[in-house]
Amino acid sequence: MSSILTVLFNGIAYGFLLFIMSVGLSVTLGMMNFVNLAQASFSMFGGYVMVTAMQSFGVPFLASLPIVFIVIGALSIVVERLIFRHFYNTDDLTQVLLTIGLVFMSIAIATYFWGGTYQRIDMPSWLTGQRAVLGLTLETYRIFLIAIGAAMAIILVLGLERTQLGAMVRACVDNRRVAGACGLNTDLIFALTFAIGGGLAGLGGALSANLLGLDPNFPLRYLVYLLIIVSVGGMGTISGTLIAGLALGIADVMGKYYFPQFGGFVIYVLTVACMLWRPHGLLGRQT
Amino acid sequence: MKIALSLLAAVSVVVLSGFNPSGSSAQAQDTVKIGILQSYSGITSLGGQQTDSTIKLFMKKYGDTAGGKKIELVRRDTTGPNPEVAKRLVQEVVTREKVQLLIGPDFTPNTLAAAPILMEAKVPSFVTGAATTGIVGEKSKYSTRTFFAVPQLCKPLAAYAVKNGWKRVFVAVADFAPGHDCEKYFIEALKEASGTLAGNLRIPVSNPEFSGYMQRIRDAKPDALFIFMPIGELSIGILRAVNDSGLKASGIKIMGTGDITDETYIDAVGDAALGTITTGIYSTQHDSALNKEFVKDYVALNGAKPRIGWGAIATWDAMRMTYDALNAQAGAKFDPEKFVSYIHGRSFESPRGPITIDKTNGDIVQNIYIRRVDKVNGVLENVEIETLKNVGFK
Repeated sequence: MSSILTVLFNGIAYGFLLFIMSVGLSVTLGMMNFVNLAQASFSMFGGYVMVTAMQSFGVPFLASLPIVFIVIGALSIVVERLIFRHFYNTDDLTQVLLTIGLVFMSIAIATYFWGGTYQRIDMPSWLTGQRAVLGLTLETYRIFLIAIGAAMAIILVLGLERTQLGAMVRACVDNRRVAGACGLNTDLIFALTFAIGGGLAGLGGALSANLLGLDPNFPLRYLVYLLIIVSVGGMGTISGTLIAGLALGIADVMGKYYFPQFGGFVIYVLTVACMLWRPHGLLGRQT
Repeated sequence: MKIALSLLAAVSVVVLSGFNPSGSSAQAQDTVKIGILQSYSGITSLGGQQTDSTIKLFMKKYGDTAGGKKIELVRRDTTGPNPEVAKRLVQEVVTREKVQLLIGPDFTPNTLAAAPILMEAKVPSFVTGAATTGIVGEKSKYSTRTFFAVPQLCKPLAAYAVKNGWKRVFVAVADFAPGHDCEKYFIEALKEASGTLAGNLRIPVSNPEFSGYMQRIRDAKPDALFIFMPIGELSIGILRAVNDSGLKASGIKIMGTGDITDETYIDAVGDAALGTITTGIYSTQHDSALNKEFVKDYVALNGAKPRIGWGAIATWDAMRMTYDALNAQAGAKFDPEKFVSYIHGRSFESPRGPITIDKTNGDIVQNIYIRRVDKVNGVLENVEIETLKNVGFK
């Protein structure tokens, strides 16, 4: 029994990790309707900012997280103003080609500055090892992931789906000209949303680096997972991303425990089945 | 008068080199071109970087001529395990650049793709980065392996575990061809040593999440866990997972081939790697004068990072044999047959310890070291704790 509960706990933690990693993409892709594959690169740079802050400047781990959010948020505004805003009205394929090109450039940039090897990531001692909770031995870092993932989910759902800002973003996406005519500063809103999406991606990279490792190839390795979560969850919904992350996370860990011979296969089967059943994702809106 | 003499000399040089057709061919004979086919880009670029650093050190120490011939390097980027690219590059360097020797290509699929061309063109090559059994031998008699063969690393830990009283062993390998090979060799050796298989797992090569597997291993209650993973993300991931999940703390001994604690990546694993027992062909900690000198010179020239890995030692020994073989045929035209017959069957002391190149096969016989990860001066190192002498490649 304790095995099953431990596996379930690990699955939930992995689900939150998937959510944390992909929520940034969910914001830009879903809410802004912009296919930004370079979101995975923002995640990677988020990881590098954390590592650099911790190792070169001695910043504690928790304090490095807001720094990551701000730095990567600012970086994404720069990229948005310089490059992306010229492509808002182009078709999906153009955006895919543009942003996958940026992914390759980001790999070269990371290799140039930080080298081709994996980074050493040292978590503070209070986040390592295991803890006894209700008779189960649970990994401390996974407990932390669940806590921070849940907090992020609540803040985002309330903040982006229920506030005026969220409404303004959706208005801009649905019809930019009319939104502008109503007096909304569409450029500002897009840039701001983009910064939030980028900052979240950076945070995802920083939080996942401990479990997934960090090297220049990070964006290409995890891009597939980001896309799976966002499309299964449905474009433009934070809660959909959360549900998809949790469902696939639990299925993946359970699958590996009960049917190790099918191992990593489960997540893909579920994705295909889900896309056949609901092509717009679990909570996706028909467009 | 002096001026007239040197003018005459200059003219005669021009005349000789310009108009004598045999002059130009003599010129070509005075160099030996070595093709270096390694990965210089993408995630596998550390391999190429390490090869270059090693060759640079070797040529700095022993000069750029051997047996009176100037060594000229022709570098090409295989871009990773990519047989079509490797085949095209081998064709190019052999037919157009006319290389007489080859270091590489790296990776098993690349090595297999290159073999028929090298055989036909009679170009001796060194396998410095591919470990699959049987890729040197009959069908590539001009090849010499200075790396290792999978069984050398996969078999010995079975007997070692049983000897230490860890009778129930769980086996976890990466789900790809070398992983299946290693699994087979280890389980056979475990049976021979009368140990028990507590269970086995094949883990997909693209796998960011290990916790389900960790729980399964824990449920099987083994004495020890044997791991075979390729160098890189999987090795880092599984060692961290073994530590984070508490498997290691519960007393299960963690063992594996040296790939999982490779020096170039071990710092990314961090203290989670401590205590891991592995088999290896080379550790920078190897206690010999030759190795101390090698490590000191390498670090002085190339810096402490990236750290020295097995690719470096395999390249070093390839260069050592190349220079010795060229010296042995000094003054004569380069002869690939003589080159290979000089090398095959040779034994010598390498910084890793004594090695022998098999006479009929060109494969390597070498000492295998059982190592434990310890901190030496604050750095994670593979410390050799036992030596298995002259382990064969089958």
